[in-house]
Amino acid sequence: MLEAHDISVKYDERVAVAGVSLSARPGEVTAVIGPNGAGKSTLMRALNGSLSLAGGEILLDGKPLRSFARRVVGRRVAVVAQEAELRFPVTVTEFVLGGRYAWSSVGAWGWETERDVAVAREVLRETELEEFGARLMSELSGGERQRAVLARALATEAGILLLDEPTANLDLAHQTALLRLVRARCDGKEAAAVVVTHDINLAAEFADRVMLLKSGRAAAVGQPREVLTPEILREVFEIRVLVDAHPVTGAPRITPVHEARRQF
Amino acid sequence: MPIRPQRVVTLAPNLTEIVYAVGAGDLLVGNTTFCDYPAEARRVAKVGDTLQPNIERIIALRPEVILVSTASQLETFTKQLDERGIGVFVTDPHDLEGVFKSIRTVGALLGHEDEAATLVNKLRARAAAVEEAVLPRPVVTVFYQVSPQPLWTAGRKSWITDLIRRAGGRSVTAEVEGEWMRYSDEAALASRPEAIIMATGGEKMEVAPALQKSPATQKGRIYGINGDYLSRPGPRLVDGLEQMARALHPEVF
Amino acid sequence: MKTMTIDEGAGMSRGARSTLRRTVFVCLALGAALLLFILAASVIGAERLPAASSLCALFTGGGASCGLTPEQGAILFDIRLPRILLAASVGASLACAGAGYQALLRNPLAEPYLLGISNGAAVGTMVALVFFGAGEEGSEWVRPVMAFAGALASTFLVYRLARGRTGASPEKLILAGVIVTTFLSSAIVFITTLMDATRIRAFTFWLLGDLSGASSKLLAVAIVAAVIGTIVLALNARSLNLLMLGERDAFDLGVEVGRVRLTVFLAASLLVGSSVAAAGSVGYVGLVVPHLVRLSLGGDNRTVVPAAALAGALFVVVADTAARTVIAPRELPVGAITALIGAPLFVLLLRRG
Repeated sequence: MLEAHDISVKYDERVAVAGVSLSARPGEVTAVIGPNGAGKSTLMRALNGSLSLAGGEILLDGKPLRSFARRVVGRRVAVVAQEAELRFPVTVTEFVLGGRYAWSSVGAWGWETERDVAVAREVLRETELEEFGARLMSELSGGERQRAVLARALATEAGILLLDEPTANLDLAHQTALLRLVRARCDGKEAAAVVVTHDINLAAEFADRVMLLKSGRAAAVGQPREVLTPEILREVFEIRVLVDAHPVTGAPRITPVHEARRQF
Repeated sequence: MPIRPQRVVTLAPNLTEIVYAVGAGDLLVGNTTFCDYPAEARRVAKVGDTLQPNIERIIALRPEVILVSTASQLETFTKQLDERGIGVFVTDPHDLEGVFKSIRTVGALLGHEDEAATLVNKLRARAAAVEEAVLPRPVVTVFYQVSPQPLWTAGRKSWITDLIRRAGGRSVTAEVEGEWMRYSDEAALASRPEAIIMATGGEKMEVAPALQKSPATQKGRIYGINGDYLSRPGPRLVDGLEQMARALHPEVF
Repeated sequence: MKTMTIDEGAGMSRGARSTLRRTVFVCLALGAALLLFILAASVIGAERLPAASSLCALFTGGGASCGLTPEQGAILFDIRLPRILLAASVGASLACAGAGYQALLRNPLAEPYLLGISNGAAVGTMVALVFFGAGEEGSEWVRPVMAFAGALASTFLVYRLARGRTGASPEKLILAGVIVTTFLSSAIVFITTLMDATRIRAFTFWLLGDLSGASSKLLAVAIVAAVIGTIVLALNARSLNLLMLGERDAFDLGVEVGRVRLTVFLAASLLVGSSVAAAGSVGYVGLVVPHLVRLSLGGDNRTVVPAAALAGALFVVVADTAARTVIAPRELPVGAITALIGAPLFVLLLRRG
């Protein structure tokens, strides 16, 4: 279990995250939503141990995250972030096998084992990329690349998944497929996921809990039904929304009310 | 070129030595930091060194003629010099005869033809004496080492090659095209020189690693000769010749 | 556990085990080619040596019994062979360092010569020679140590100048390299003014890369450094694979970014420092060789690093054989030959962007 207790992150003097507490519990998907610049990505990077904290602490299984070797953290916590620009040719398989790095033994010059290959093959199948294994990453479409990034995160077999806008480049079908996959991991393998997303409806449908961030602070935390209310959303996003129940799933359904339209 | 210039600048130590040797030292208003012979030359205004003469200082000295050893020294300033009517005289000898010719031309240019002629006759006599003395002796093969590592030597177009021949030797690189050159380590060793000559400035002599197993090194025939005699194609080149001959054929001197 | 079969159709053709198998194969092939070229280069030179006797001497370790004269023996064992071995270790070092810098700086154009790192090592060497008397008996060690320090300092400088938020952009890196190179070039010019005229001429040649007559100590240092540096980089190759994709990604996946970066910087600087101390700046090897290796074998550093080391050795052995034979008995600087091949390729790479 990964827990953040009252953490704050500062960039120079600017406070990006202020006193946020969050825990990624096995079996749970937590969605983090909020307007641009609310500190969502910063929070995710802090959870992964990439940023030094101005206050608070992050615990992995009750021990400070920083006390673990990176290799250990790499086996326990996986990140899906906006990937950096690729400047060297790398195949999808090579890319996904990167997720097995933390499992490599130092003595073996870092060659993948049969198990590494088996895991990579399995996640490529799960992300519907099995046909693309020998392709170069640079030849893939934006959505295919995004799936490869997810595949690499899944290949780590980490119990805690931190996903920063994993659906940004995906079409509707793949958005759903990806979140189903994450959901399934959490349900079946007792994994925990924290997902930053701009799609409130997806969050409402797939998340067990939702955290609304505004200006680095947690404006509300709770079950989707509790926190995705017109009042809270208005306060956080500063727009009027309509909240009703999804006719099929019953999850909260959020529709922005466009002020400009009222004139018609 | 002005007739009988009264103000002269030299940009190389050998030219400075020639100017003094023909008795025209009083015309010298500027020379380089390399110009240290004769002693009076040190007291003349300095215009930088041979590699980087300072054009502003040269012009400030208002010379009528500049003596240079290669045209490239002042190439960029040709226009400025032309505008002021400053003549540039290039002399670049490749053998002893060329040095004699330089002396006579400089002498003629500065109005000291007679002194120049006398000097050349004297030098020619000394050179002839050396050549005559070594004539009956067997020719010694010589490697002239400019720098040990990387290995540099003198080729066909260098006065060194001529000097070695006159001193009763044969430079193993006499037929190699060029004046100064980077030379192959193994070719140097394979040429089996009987003697190695190098110019020294008083520091420890360092034989090229490649020549450690040459006959010259094994027989201890390594000779250092004052670099000022060998590297300045002026009157003192004949001193270099005499020392070289003494080194190669000690028995006849 | 299921047994995995790796075949084209499954999309795992570039999978792990085939990569390992191919790396071993490629390295064996390159190693064999290197040995062959070293043998070939030992019978080619400004001086004609009888080929059969030379080969006999190389294999038996003595010239006399094979019919070589003492001179020919000395040429083979004291002049030619050390030079070929130096060429091989300099080539291996520079190519390997190039691959390391490229992965670390996430830039296929990174190269010790172009980044000014060779110049840094050259300044170190010159400082050692001029101020610490490294030419003298007993203090030869100052030379490679100072070269290493120079390489390290300039690596650090380029890295700091070029580093952006997501790693050095190609343009910024080259710009930083130009700045460091020109700054250090003026330092070199400044130090040469403190030398006497004949040494300057020799030095200009050395700066362009000169493999002749390095002392046996410098040769030994160069060989040992080449082997150690290559092994260290190869052991970090999988970390480099991830670093090549971005420092943030690498960190997320479990790479101790700071430690790996420091290790690679040290190893690459050791490689550059030891080769510059012995042979001056041989340019473009670190660019041409890793690039060609990546082009033909893919970007996996576990293959690229050892293959680049062997191919780099091969490249410089060939280039130096040309340098010492094309205008024999005169010589060309080997750096001029590698630059002649490397500069056009660099332009090609830049244009392909």
